[in-house]
Amino acid sequence: MDKQRDFVLRTIEERGVKFVRLWFTDVLGTLKSVAIAPAEVEGAFTEGLGIDGSSIEGLSRSSEADVIAKADPSTFQVLPWRGEIDPTARMFCDIATPDGQPAAADPRHVLKRTLAKAADLGFSFYTHPECEFYLLKSADVHHPEPVDRAGYFDNVPGGTAHDFRRASVRMLEDIGISVEFSHHEAGPGQNEIDLRYADALSTADNIMTFRTVVKEVAIQEGVYATFMPKPFEGQPGSGMHTHMSLFEGERNAFHDPAGQYQLSKVGRQFVAGLLHHAPEFTAVTNQFVNSYKRMWSGDEAPSYVSWGHNNRSALVRVPLSKPNKAQSARVEYRGLDSAANPYLAFSVLLAAGLKGIEEGYELPEEATDDVWALSDRERRALGFTPLPASLDRALQHMEESELVAETLGEQVFEYFLRNKREDWQRYRAQVTRVELESNLLSL
Amino acid sequence: MRIPSPRARLAQLGFREPSRAAACLEELPDAWRGTGRTALVEAAARAADPDTAIEWAVRLERAGVSLDEALADAGSLESLLRVLGGSIGIAEHLERHAEDLDVAARPMPPAPAERYVDSLLESVDASAGIARKPRDEAIAAMRGRYRRHLTELVAWDLGLDDPAASVDVVSAALADLAAAALEAGLAIARAAARERYGEDADRVRLAVVAMGKTGARELNYLSDVDVIWVHEADGVEDPRATQIATLLARETTAACAQFQKAPPLWEVDANLRPEGKDGALTRTLASHVAYYERWAKSWEFQALLKARAVAGDAELGTAYEAAVRSKVWESSSREGFVESVQRMRERVSEHIPADEVARQLKLGPGGLRDIEFTVQLLQLVHGADDESVRQRGTLEALDALAELGIIGRADRDEFSAHYRFLRVLEHRIQFWRMRRTHLMPVEPDELRRLARSAGLPDADALTERWQAVRRAVRSLHERLFYRPLLGAVASLGHDDVRLTPEHAAKRLEASGYADARGALGHIAELTGGVTRRAQIQRLLLPVLLGWFAEGVDPDMGLLAFRRLSEALGESPWFLRMLRDSPVAARRLTRLLSSSRLIGSLMERIPEAASWLDGDEQLRPRSEESLREEAAAVLARHRDDREALRTALRSLRRREHLRVAMASALQRIDESTVGVALTAIAAALVDAALTLHTPEGLRLATITLGRTGGREIGFGSDIDVMHVAVGEGDPIAVATTVIRKVQETLADPTLPFELDAALRPEGRQGPIVRTLESYRAYYERWSEPWEAQALLRARPFAGDAELAAELMAIIDERRYPQELPAAAAREVRRIKARVESERLPKNADRRRHLKLGDGALSDVEWLVQLLQLQHAGHEPSLRTPSTLEALAAAARADLISDRDAEILREAWSLATRIRNGLALARARTIDVLPNDRTELEAVARLIGMPARSALALEEHYLAVTRRSRRVFDRLFYDA
Repeated sequence: MDKQRDFVLRTIEERGVKFVRLWFTDVLGTLKSVAIAPAEVEGAFTEGLGIDGSSIEGLSRSSEADVIAKADPSTFQVLPWRGEIDPTARMFCDIATPDGQPAAADPRHVLKRTLAKAADLGFSFYTHPECEFYLLKSADVHHPEPVDRAGYFDNVPGGTAHDFRRASVRMLEDIGISVEFSHHEAGPGQNEIDLRYADALSTADNIMTFRTVVKEVAIQEGVYATFMPKPFEGQPGSGMHTHMSLFEGERNAFHDPAGQYQLSKVGRQFVAGLLHHAPEFTAVTNQFVNSYKRMWSGDEAPSYVSWGHNNRSALVRVPLSKPNKAQSARVEYRGLDSAANPYLAFSVLLAAGLKGIEEGYELPEEATDDVWALSDRERRALGFTPLPASLDRALQHMEESELVAETLGEQVFEYFLRNKREDWQRYRAQVTRVELESNLLSL
Repeated sequence: MRIPSPRARLAQLGFREPSRAAACLEELPDAWRGTGRTALVEAAARAADPDTAIEWAVRLERAGVSLDEALADAGSLESLLRVLGGSIGIAEHLERHAEDLDVAARPMPPAPAERYVDSLLESVDASAGIARKPRDEAIAAMRGRYRRHLTELVAWDLGLDDPAASVDVVSAALADLAAAALEAGLAIARAAARERYGEDADRVRLAVVAMGKTGARELNYLSDVDVIWVHEADGVEDPRATQIATLLARETTAACAQFQKAPPLWEVDANLRPEGKDGALTRTLASHVAYYERWAKSWEFQALLKARAVAGDAELGTAYEAAVRSKVWESSSREGFVESVQRMRERVSEHIPADEVARQLKLGPGGLRDIEFTVQLLQLVHGADDESVRQRGTLEALDALAELGIIGRADRDEFSAHYRFLRVLEHRIQFWRMRRTHLMPVEPDELRRLARSAGLPDADALTERWQAVRRAVRSLHERLFYRPLLGAVASLGHDDVRLTPEHAAKRLEASGYADARGALGHIAELTGGVTRRAQIQRLLLPVLLGWFAEGVDPDMGLLAFRRLSEALGESPWFLRMLRDSPVAARRLTRLLSSSRLIGSLMERIPEAASWLDGDEQLRPRSEESLREEAAAVLARHRDDREALRTALRSLRRREHLRVAMASALQRIDESTVGVALTAIAAALVDAALTLHTPEGLRLATITLGRTGGREIGFGSDIDVMHVAVGEGDPIAVATTVIRKVQETLADPTLPFELDAALRPEGRQGPIVRTLESYRAYYERWSEPWEAQALLRARPFAGDAELAAELMAIIDERRYPQELPAAAAREVRRIKARVESERLPKNADRRRHLKLGDGALSDVEWLVQLLQLQHAGHEPSLRTPSTLEALAAAARADLISDRDAEILREAWSLATRIRNGLALARARTIDVLPNDRTELEAVARLIGMPARSALALEEHYLAVTRRSRRVFDRLFYDA
């Protein structure tokens, strides 16, 4: 820790950093930022920085308006996009109450607590997300238009998107996040960036950073980036398929050369946990009204509780790990979307998997067919239950979940449900274009 | 006179297995027969373990080690056999290293540190600090030489008449020897560094700073050696300089600890360095200083107390010592010091396996660690002002503290002796097999050997002495830390302790008192003067001060104790009880430092302290015996209204206090609290009614609400309804009586409210009605919700027959054969409205214990709805008690067992927390606190362990979330 603090102070000096942004995330997954001067940095490590918590979603109980942001020096990075004229850096923060206890409603703390629980069982949790997003020509919310109509970047004349790709990759690498970048085959203007495999806390921090970088670069290039789960009817939504594995020390606990698809017993139980609890935590992994339009649009998003090997219609996919690559054994959860709060989403995924291990859940039959192509009766017969059809249904499932309550902690759980119900109310109150078009004149 | 047989003679001499010893002797070469053999046996008989001594003598001989030289001289023989019979570890070494036999046979006192250094450097053929022997050979030679000196030391130690007197000399020699090994190890490392880095290696200076017992020169025979590495480079840049320094540190460690043919000496532990295991192995001086300036925690400073440069570059080492020492002495004023000291104290007794507690010399109550902890704490607290107490060693520190007058000389003498005794045992247990252990043996033979080895006659003497020392050490913290505080506030004349008020205030702050000046004032009052009370309190207070400091609010506890003591004056039983009953004193401190309600009631009823001695007096009294007492009070004071009021009041306060104490000490649960408090209220109302009701009037009170169910808590109102019959205008007369009853019972200290709001027509209705009026009202007007309020009605006080008549009227109403759907709907609607209206503004509905989600009122409404719907045909539901009705509903399958259990848990927890809050704050609070200190106080009062504030909050929110889900489903979805 203290070596890192020294490093931060030294770098600020050497690089002439003028501002340091303290980043944290509210319960809904929105990045918050407070800028401080270099002189205040040392204090931000020791005493932390007092901020008004009541203005931040879900962060503080009304009676406890002040919270303290304590910078985590291991997350220090100079931000590349401010240029060398006015160098700015950022650090993630943990949120504490005035008496120094972690704030119950800090999503980063929720993940840390869940990781600590895994550590008690001897596991560390690694994730590797593939984030999809759309590039739009402008920020016009009424008439969103993707930047291109073609499949692959390289076929597009004009270069905006090409420059965007180059600039993003460089900027992410400057900030210490190495990525693989690809243009999505299916959606016009849709892109995918794969973050490197890392421990779940770093990955979650990286996702928050990455979203900011992508938006920032897009603006520089005169376009607009959105992580909305389903911005266009008739085009694929933006998911965040996430590969996960547990390690016991140096050993990948999901690997067993003798297991089916080389998946160990622990791995099978983990997947069983994910499947068993998926309906309960879907409100967290898919937290917006719009998320369910991606999930139920009939294209590639998985909407039924099932698992398979190389089956893109399954909710959980178990890729075959190569015999000489035991360390790469993993499972992929395909339900998550790009707008999830990564701290909370990773927490519930991990908790569900651990529950499967602790309780010794049995893995159901593998899905070998294309689950979408089956009829409803066939799916029922095979036991592929549907995920919640709407945010409303998802909240009903979550409300009943001891696992999610325990994982998020009572206060985040409560706040999340309340806030999301309000979302649903607002959505339900509107009269949509579809209703007007089909009813207004005919009725 | 009979000449004893050889075996009998051996037995007489103290051999445990004479046959085996005799068989061994048979194997001896001819040269040993005759006088030689007698000398051998006699010498062995003086060893701690004669059998082992003989066995090993023969074994050495057999292995070709000639003992002839030793045999030549009686003194040498005796010394050698003492070693063989006192340390198998050394005997094994001698078997492989016959050349060391001479030092075992001719013990020499420990050498000065330089001689060990010279000897070990010479063993690796060092020149200018660089070993010239090849690495592995050098390591073997160095370890061999170390063990030769160790043999020398064991031989000397075993030959001492009074080992305790020299235990410090032995410990210091062991530390010097370890330092010499590190120096020789560094010389070996230097050779490796030069090979790898050439001349640059010589430009990196490295110092080894010893911490812990090595630093304090109080090392064991076998212990990890704690070190910190410091380096400085002259003309070599980083990272090369750090690489070289790291290599030096690694190789030095390897020379001492790596597995090789010659066994390793001990572990070299560098985990006390900045950042612990995650930190760089070695740092420059500037980097060390920067670390301690910025980030170090209080406990790290405690470790630095012992830092001493022991090997490598002397100039650099001295500079390090000087730089960190000043920091150590500022640490007691740092934030978080008190907390970290408390944690440290807890760690003293943590993590000891249960079966070892009774055998631990080091950890656990009465162990070496107890002495070290107290001495170090005293040093940190006082060292900022007094340089003389800045000693590394425990014995030196004790001396310095006594010299300065902040602990007593007699205490110093006593605890120094205890410390020395425990260390002598530790040394002997360790060198028996050269194993790192701190456990007392259990086998009688092993105990006997240890006793003889430590200069005690036998196992019994050893056990007795050890237990006595443990007992004394257990009280050490009170005696050294708290007792001298008394001297600071009063001149006691006979003591040689001269603690200034500043000293004393610092100690109190370090143990958690927020207002140290105030506390000193209390201590002065409690201990001043020549009364017997002051005398006994001088004796007790040191212990009590420590106990208060473990409570949530030590200041409150001490103040309450002072008031109590003043109120009790010279009552001999009180002081005797505190002195003779540790249970009572412990309980008293716990109650006073956690409950304001109990403190304030005890101020008025100090004699309640006498109940704490056992559990007998903490049992709540039955309603019957309370009624009897109230009746007796009435009879006694009928003529003097004022005296009567006072007597009734103190009866009520006293019984409340009893229940409060029992509850805070977890002797009774929340249901028993409810029953007991209801009984007290009933007895008093009954007495007051008897007093004021004139001839010709019959007056009865029934109770409703939580009192009806006997489920009230501290400070709850009593819900009542009155009925009267009589000549003339009974209503007018009865109304006056009720007013007088209320006046009689009123108590500003412990409010007693009779609340008649649940009567017909509520606050608009008359306060008392006739039977006919009730009957007419219920026939004409009664709404379903009024029937609901009657569910918990029960006769309470006054005319029992009249109450029964009213109950008959009520019974007709409250258990309808069938509840019309419309009525059920109305009950649900009212509850829904109450939910949104009755909760106080700004109250958090997740935290309101009465009206919040899943809390008391949710559970009660659900139970009452079930009663209204089913009690008509299910008589088991006819009870005013919520929990009984809930259990009956589950038995009648009206609700699942699981749901019933969830509801019961929520209701009980909310009740328990309300009681805890009332005990802590001495008033009624219906909201789960946000403040963590308050949560902590409640958590302790309801029996949770220390530091459970957050756990309590999370638990309450989870339990009520579940009960709310059940309530929602069962109450609204019908």
